[in-house]
Amino acid sequence: MRLYSLSVLYKGDPKVHLLKAAYDVSTFNFFQRSSVQEFMTFTSQLIVERSELGSRASVKEQEYLCHVYVRNDGLAGVVIADNEYPQRVCFTLLDKVLDEFSRQVNKIDWPSGSPATISYAALDGYLSKYQNPRDADPMTRVQAELDETKIILHNTMESLLERGEKLDDLVSKSEVLGAQSKAFYKTVSVAFHPRGGSPPP
Amino acid sequence: MAESPEEVAVLVQRVVKDIRNAFQRNPHIDEIGLIPCPEARYNRSPIVLVENKLGVESWCVKFLLPYVHNKLVLYRQRRQWLNKDELIDITCTLLLLNPDFTTAWNVRKELILSGTLNPLKDLHLGKLALTKFPKSPETWIHRRWVLQQLIQENSLPSLVTKGNLGAAPVERIHRLVQEEMNVCSEAAGRYPSNYNAWSHRIWVLQHLGKLTVKVLLDELSSTKYWVSMHVSDHSGFHYRQFLLKSLIGRTVTDSNVLVQNQIINEQNPSLQKEEESAGAEAACAEEQSVDLPRHLEEELELCTELIDSYPGHETLWCHRRCVFYLQHHLSNKIPLLSAVVSSVDSSDETLNNSHHSPATSPMAQAMDVDGLNESSSKQGYTQETKRLKRAPMQDSFGPEVEYQFIDKVLSTCRDADQARFATAYRKWLVTFLGQ
Repeated sequence: MRLYSLSVLYKGDPKVHLLKAAYDVSTFNFFQRSSVQEFMTFTSQLIVERSELGSRASVKEQEYLCHVYVRNDGLAGVVIADNEYPQRVCFTLLDKVLDEFSRQVNKIDWPSGSPATISYAALDGYLSKYQNPRDADPMTRVQAELDETKIILHNTMESLLERGEKLDDLVSKSEVLGAQSKAFYKTVSVAFHPRGGSPPP
Repeated sequence: MAESPEEVAVLVQRVVKDIRNAFQRNPHIDEIGLIPCPEARYNRSPIVLVENKLGVESWCVKFLLPYVHNKLVLYRQRRQWLNKDELIDITCTLLLLNPDFTTAWNVRKELILSGTLNPLKDLHLGKLALTKFPKSPETWIHRRWVLQQLIQENSLPSLVTKGNLGAAPVERIHRLVQEEMNVCSEAAGRYPSNYNAWSHRIWVLQHLGKLTVKVLLDELSSTKYWVSMHVSDHSGFHYRQFLLKSLIGRTVTDSNVLVQNQIINEQNPSLQKEEESAGAEAACAEEQSVDLPRHLEEELELCTELIDSYPGHETLWCHRRCVFYLQHHLSNKIPLLSAVVSSVDSSDETLNNSHHSPATSPMAQAMDVDGLNESSSKQGYTQETKRLKRAPMQDSFGPEVEYQFIDKVLSTCRDADQARFATAYRKWLVTFLGQ
């Protein structure tokens, strides 16, 4: 049961900006960590790009789930977790983080912001605290006000794409991914295995 | 980079040497990995050592692996000689790239048997291979072979001083067991439902740990958090089922032995070898004090907590079935056990009373015919005895409780899978109890 990344982004028109992110790649193989992190940034951005304003969705890709909340004002959050981590806790976390972020960081700064310019330091703490959902959110059993039927479920990343678009092409063109990560994506049949072991045969 | 045979040979020699040097420079290497790197950087070694992590750049693997593989095969076919050091280096390189190459492990077995290679090195090599290949069957198999070698060595007193492990035999075994538990736990974390890791763990408990009550209870406690954080790991929960079943097997056997010993001792006090039976009885008494029903109840509670916190995981419902089944079977064994124990009680009382003064003995005897041993302090008032005297525990477990639990889940859950699993569990329960 694991969280891998927590990011705050801005869904500008036309581009999506990463504002701030926290990562936990400690369970991945040491030499894969930087590539994995880049992929998570790439994925988070892509998902926000392809999601509507005012929507919540969970996108499944192999053994991990990307939970996204795009607010009506364009502020968005993405949590990348494994498939054991309870979905409800992820959306509670996203609500909380975006709320706090919007109160601490001036709206004016969102469209042009980047991790270097934005001052919001709470993400690492949240990521760490929420690794154990029962510690972080003791009320997990209690019914949340959040209506889960409004969360869109995508069974693959591909289902977010336009007709004819290929993930491979987006990967090659990406400015977020370094050469090593792109090579990584090509040589491994599975983009990355969440727990860092070799891909299943 | 040109790939002439000479260049490949030079490259391979360099890589094998670099790997050996890396291990010599840093005995604390704890992880291996492949570095995605499509092109060689001019004249730089593909072997990278960073913070106790050993990496191999991916570009060299297509040259390295076939070459080293071929070399070992030629050696095996007696078409090319390799000396002991070369064999050690080559097999090490091979196994870090492909630990399922059985021949390489077998060559190392021969080196161990001839005394050239320290078996502990293979435990270390295997542990490293598992960081990248956590399921590798051949690695686990070889590991068990090495452990068997180490146990055998342990049992020969002449090897104690020359032994590989130092320290006293019992301490050595204990350390080995702990290390194996760690290796299994890490490998289990690197691949979901890692059957090979968990079955190795069971094997170690059986062959090195001897399934003592202490080791079983320790493992029950130390894996509790792990399974709570890996709620769909079927192998992890299966391990706990194994621990509980072994505890039951252990306790029931030992309590039968304890009871039999007491009967024999009462009937033939002169034959009682005090020290020996006192020791054995003490051990049995310790094992008798395992409160099995409490452990099973706690397991069921854990299961309930996890089902409630993390809806929609079938593994938890399968675990519940197993725990309920064990509780049910254990409670069916109890009547047999208490009948045996109470007959021991009454024979105990008559023996005691023969020493009482005549004035009190008729009264004492009248009481003792009916009573159990409340008045006797000779009988140890163990947990087990206490529990046997209580009414059967229907409040905290049993079919009624289960049906209530299922109903609660069905009325409050919003996860479709959870509802499905709860319904299936109810069906199972009905069928099971109907038998």
